[in-house]
Amino acid sequence: MSDGQDTGRPEFTLVQVADTPSSEEEMAPMFTAPVTDGKRHKNDIFRPGPGPMVEFRGVTKTYDGGARGLNGVSLRIGTGEFVFLVGPSGSGKSTFIRLIIRELRATTGEVVVGGRDLATLRRSKVPYLRRAIGCVFQDFRLLPDRTAAENVAYALQVTGHSQKEVRRRVPEILSLVGLDGKFDRLPRELSGGEQQRVSIARALVNHPRLLIADEPTGNLDPETSLGIMDLLLRINRTGTTVLVATHDQHTVDRMQMRVIALDEGRVVRDEESAGYHDETGEVLA
Amino acid sequence: MRLGMFFREALRSIRANAAISVAATVTALIAVFILGAFIPSFMYVRSAVDAQTAKVDVDVYIADTATVSQVNSLREKLDGLRTDGTVAAVTYVSKEDALRIMKERLRDPSVLDELPSNPLPAKFNVKPTEAENADVIVAAVKDDPALDPTEGIVYPETTADRLLTAAKFVQWAGFILIGILLLAAVLLIGNTIRLSIFARRREVEVMRLVGATNWFIRWPFMIEGVICGLVGAVVAVAMLWGIKVGVVDAWAAGADSALTKTGSAAGTIAFPLLMIVLVGAGALLGAIGSGITLRRFLKV
Repeated sequence: MSDGQDTGRPEFTLVQVADTPSSEEEMAPMFTAPVTDGKRHKNDIFRPGPGPMVEFRGVTKTYDGGARGLNGVSLRIGTGEFVFLVGPSGSGKSTFIRLIIRELRATTGEVVVGGRDLATLRRSKVPYLRRAIGCVFQDFRLLPDRTAAENVAYALQVTGHSQKEVRRRVPEILSLVGLDGKFDRLPRELSGGEQQRVSIARALVNHPRLLIADEPTGNLDPETSLGIMDLLLRINRTGTTVLVATHDQHTVDRMQMRVIALDEGRVVRDEESAGYHDETGEVLA
Repeated sequence: MRLGMFFREALRSIRANAAISVAATVTALIAVFILGAFIPSFMYVRSAVDAQTAKVDVDVYIADTATVSQVNSLREKLDGLRTDGTVAAVTYVSKEDALRIMKERLRDPSVLDELPSNPLPAKFNVKPTEAENADVIVAAVKDDPALDPTEGIVYPETTADRLLTAAKFVQWAGFILIGILLLAAVLLIGNTIRLSIFARRREVEVMRLVGATNWFIRWPFMIEGVICGLVGAVVAVAMLWGIKVGVVDAWAAGADSALTKTGSAAGTIAFPLLMIVLVGAGALLGAIGSGITLRRFLKV
C-alpha cells in the first residue's frame, strides 16, 4: 500500500492541514506516506516482507474451563487493509484480538503477526509487539488522573522517547485527531467521542503498523461514531492496517469494507465491500 | 533523565494513593523502630555476657611439697596449651605474692601477721582464650603430681557453663527474632504495595497495552516502596534518638557510678552506626517488599 512496509519500520510524517476537514476527501492528506531510513530498529519485531499483516492458520483457543474462544479459524489480513470483525457477543471477536496482541496464546494452530509466529515470540519481546500494534477500546482505557496530553505522552515515554520529542509529537497528534485546545483536559472533562480520540491518538503516537479497535464506538452516539470511523479510515489511508471489531451495523453498512463475521468461534462469512448482514439478510448480531 | 521520570511517577503514585502510602510508611516505621530498639538491647546483653565469660579463669594450685622440676614440667604443660591457642596467658603467683594479694584484699591485714607460716599455696593463674576451653585445661593438668592435694584446680565451673548457655541462647534468640521481624516487615510492605498496585491495576493494564516493559512498570513501584521505607526509617530513627537522649542516657548517667564500680565492660552499638543500619534496612525493606510483590503480579 505504501513504499514503507517492505523495507522496515515506517516513520510517518504527520502533517496538519489548516482547517478541520469537512469531508473524507479533504481528510486523506493529513497523513503522508511512511518514510524509512532503510534501517530496522533493534526492537522492531516485525519481519519485513510482502506477507500479510495478520495470518491465522487453523487457530483454536480453548479456555481453561473448556470453553471454546475460537474454533479452527484460518484467515489473512493483508498489509494496509481495513477490516470489520462482526458477530454476536461471545462469538470470539475478543479472543481473536487478544490472540493478536498475545494476551492469549493459541491452543493449536499458528498466529502470525507482521511475519512473526507469536508462539515462538519470547515473553520479553511481547512489549515490543504491542508497541507495533495500536489498541483502542470501547471503554477508552485512559488514565483518569492524567490530562489528554499526559495520556498520549505516556505511550511515548514508555517507548523511551526524549522529553523534547514528547513535547513535539503530543500536540501534533492531538491536533491531528481533532482535539485542538483540549490538551490539558482530564478524561472526565471530555465527552465520550473526545475521550476516544485521545485513546486513538495514544494508539497512533508510536506509529503502529496495525491498529486494532475493539468496539471503538460502543459507548458513543451515532453521529460521534461516524467521526471516529472517519478518523480510523483516514489512518488506514496512510498505510496502517486497521482491524475494527464492532456491533455498529449502521457504520459497517455505510462504509462497505471487508467484513469478517464470527459465530461460535468460527468464521461464518468473509466478504469484500460488504455490510453487516450477508446477502440473505440473516441477522448475525 | 529516565530516573527522573520514574521518580516523578513514583511521587505521583504516592500522592494519588495517599492512604496506602501512609500505611506502608507506618509499617516500615514500626518494623524499623522495633529493630532499632532490639539491636542495641541485644548487643548490650551479648556484650555483658561476653564480659562475664572473659573473666572465667582457672587456678592451678601447686603443692608445697612439689619439686622444682615438677613445677617446671607443669608450667611446660600449660605453656604447651598456650602455643596451641587454648590458653591466652599463664601467670605464676608465688606463695609470697598470694599472701600479699590476700593482704591487699583484707580490710584488716594485721590478722595475717598472727599466722606462724604462710598457709597459701603457690598457683598458676590460667586465662583461657575462650571460656569453654576451661574444661580442656582442667583435663590436661588434673593428674599432675605437682598439684596441691587439697586445693587442686579451682575454676567457676557452674558459672562458666551457665554463662555460656546464656550467651548462646541470647545469640540465637536474637537472630531468630530479628529474622522474624524482618520477614514480617517485608511481607507487610509487600502487601501494602500489592494494594497500591491493585488500586492502579487499570493503570498497569494500560502500561502493558502501550508496550511498557516489565522493568518500566516496576521501577516507579520499587521507588515508591523505597521512599515509604526510607521515610518510615527516618521517623523511627528520630523517635529512637529521642528515647535515647531522654530516657536511656539520663538513666545511664544516674547509674554511671554503679556501673564503673562493677567494672562492667558491656557496651553497645554506636548510635550513628545504628542510624545508618536502620535507614539502610528501611530502604531495603521497601525495595524487597515491592520487588517480591511485583514479581508475582507481573507474571503472565
